[in-house]
Amino acid sequence: MKCLATLEAGDHVSHLVWNRSGDRWIVCPSSGPVLVADDLGAVRESLSPHGMGNGAPAWFGGQAATCGFDGRIRLGGAPIHLGRGMIERVRTNADDSLLAATQGRNLLLFDRSGAVVDSSIALPSPVADLRWNPAAPRELATSGAGGALLWRIGEAEPFARFDWGGASLEAVWSPDGRWLATADQTPSVHIFDIPANNPLHMEGFDGKVRAMAVSSDSKRLATAGSAVFTVWPLTGARGPEGARPIQVEGSASEVVAMDFSPRDGRLATGDTEGTLLVVTFEKGQFRRKRARLGTGISTLAWHPTAPRLAIGHTDGKVQLLEMA
Amino acid sequence: MKRTPVTILTGFLGSGKTTLLNRILTAPHGLRIAVIENEFGEIGIDHELVINAEEELFEMNNGCICCTVRGDLIRILGNLMKRRDRFDHILVETTGLADPGPVVQTFFVDEELREQTYVNGVVTLVDAVHFIRHLEETHEAGEQVAFADLILLNKCDLVEEAALRKAEEAIRSINALARIVRTTRAETDPAALLDLGGFDLTRATGLDPHFLEPESHHHHHHSEISSVGFQIPGDCDGRRLNDWISQLVKEQGQDIFRMKGVFAVKNQSDRVVFQGVHMLIDAASGGPWAGRPRTNSVVFIGRHLDRTALESGLRSCLAS
Repeated sequence: MKCLATLEAGDHVSHLVWNRSGDRWIVCPSSGPVLVADDLGAVRESLSPHGMGNGAPAWFGGQAATCGFDGRIRLGGAPIHLGRGMIERVRTNADDSLLAATQGRNLLLFDRSGAVVDSSIALPSPVADLRWNPAAPRELATSGAGGALLWRIGEAEPFARFDWGGASLEAVWSPDGRWLATADQTPSVHIFDIPANNPLHMEGFDGKVRAMAVSSDSKRLATAGSAVFTVWPLTGARGPEGARPIQVEGSASEVVAMDFSPRDGRLATGDTEGTLLVVTFEKGQFRRKRARLGTGISTLAWHPTAPRLAIGHTDGKVQLLEMA
Repeated sequence: MKRTPVTILTGFLGSGKTTLLNRILTAPHGLRIAVIENEFGEIGIDHELVINAEEELFEMNNGCICCTVRGDLIRILGNLMKRRDRFDHILVETTGLADPGPVVQTFFVDEELREQTYVNGVVTLVDAVHFIRHLEETHEAGEQVAFADLILLNKCDLVEEAALRKAEEAIRSINALARIVRTTRAETDPAALLDLGGFDLTRATGLDPHFLEPESHHHHHHSEISSVGFQIPGDCDGRRLNDWISQLVKEQGQDIFRMKGVFAVKNQSDRVVFQGVHMLIDAASGGPWAGRPRTNSVVFIGRHLDRTALESGLRSCLAS
């Protein structure tokens, strides 16, 4: 492990997002300017902050799309939306043709020119998360009060719904579009087998699940929820149902960040005390490497093609590591 | 970690919440205050420290009213608490038609928020001109008063003294614990408003339910919400007291908006203080009795409260 670069983001680092080619990445702190760095960690752009807090950014048509508590969306630094009400995230669809966001119960949709696209979707309530189906560019999932809903652009009503008596927060898809997982307000996770219309409810976590990740081959789902994280199999006819998940120890405190490498399937996790674990899976076994990075890890993201890992910390520090 | 105080500001549309918020934001109190505003119907406040968010209700346990919380608040505050430059105080303004319950409950139910923030108090603005009508026509007006630690009876310059007294009596019949302050154009001392300690158990020592005894209790028919309180001398059996409160909130928690109590428990030298919102109860030591007579004082604010049953329930907790 070699540190290629260290950046200062100015505040707790909330999001790190690589572009598709891996030559740029967005460094988004909780507040203050949003940075765009190159693949060697040099800062190339500093984008205007979004008032009291920045939302989750995305790459769209080769440009950084940012949003936040000020109710604005900017694409490449230029405003494309100004409304009243916070915007917590922007998300790009699978073919990079549409950018979505929510403001209250309004679903906002933009094309690459920044023009508004009519989605026809009427959200019944504000949502906690919004995720495009990686395997279907015109389908998206929303999570929030009462569970998760699946929508198609152009249709007013959801085409599938996964109801339960609580609330779902973060959502994550498997790249093949078969599985949708949501982390809940209570310490649990829902995993939905979309084609089978089969919802699974996984409980027993120590606390709220603050991070999830799915491997790029759609075979594994990793969920946080304590210092010991869980890796669920998504293979076979029933996926994680009835299967024994892998429990990975080695973190010093609650795991709050995780990401699978799209290049080689390694799973990197970070905890609130700065422990980085890198887990390699081989034929039903796994190996761990551990490093202590000093300050709490808040987010991390693998480079799309190279063995590089970007790590954001609670104190605003960002590291770009070469991972042998 | 030092927890950040949160004040919840509620009141009907047009009661003066925006005017009050503007006053708080511009007053020379030296505090850095973040404001979370849910009221989209009124003129917005153009201020860098204001966040607008649409109310997002989460039911955490299959529709139980006590487990309904505000998802938007959890995420906004979670984000604000991560910032390097922390705020001294956070103000949450609810919509005019909001039930303050879920807002208050959010700070009790969400573990992370509980660790990082605490509810300093609920301030309810009441429009002196229209309050009686709001009370008769809606249930929210009564609920907003029921949850309050401080009630600003606003627009007093527009109402005769007799009408003000009538409004105060109606407020008092609902909530016997809250302080009522008459205001015009929401003019009040922001510092006092930000230091209510309404949910602070260490400050729940001055509970005096004498004025709630049946002979002095005013009956109004504007609202089915009322306050019931009593004082019973003697020591309670700790286990019986605990069982009674647990059973009470289990059976009637949906109708109990606020509850505060200071109890004398056998074999405990310190006072035991309870406070609750619906089914959520907190208890702590209230410090020594310091020469005062050991007695049990409790006040309930809620709907369909049965004074006789409540009093007999507490009496059954007395140690023999």
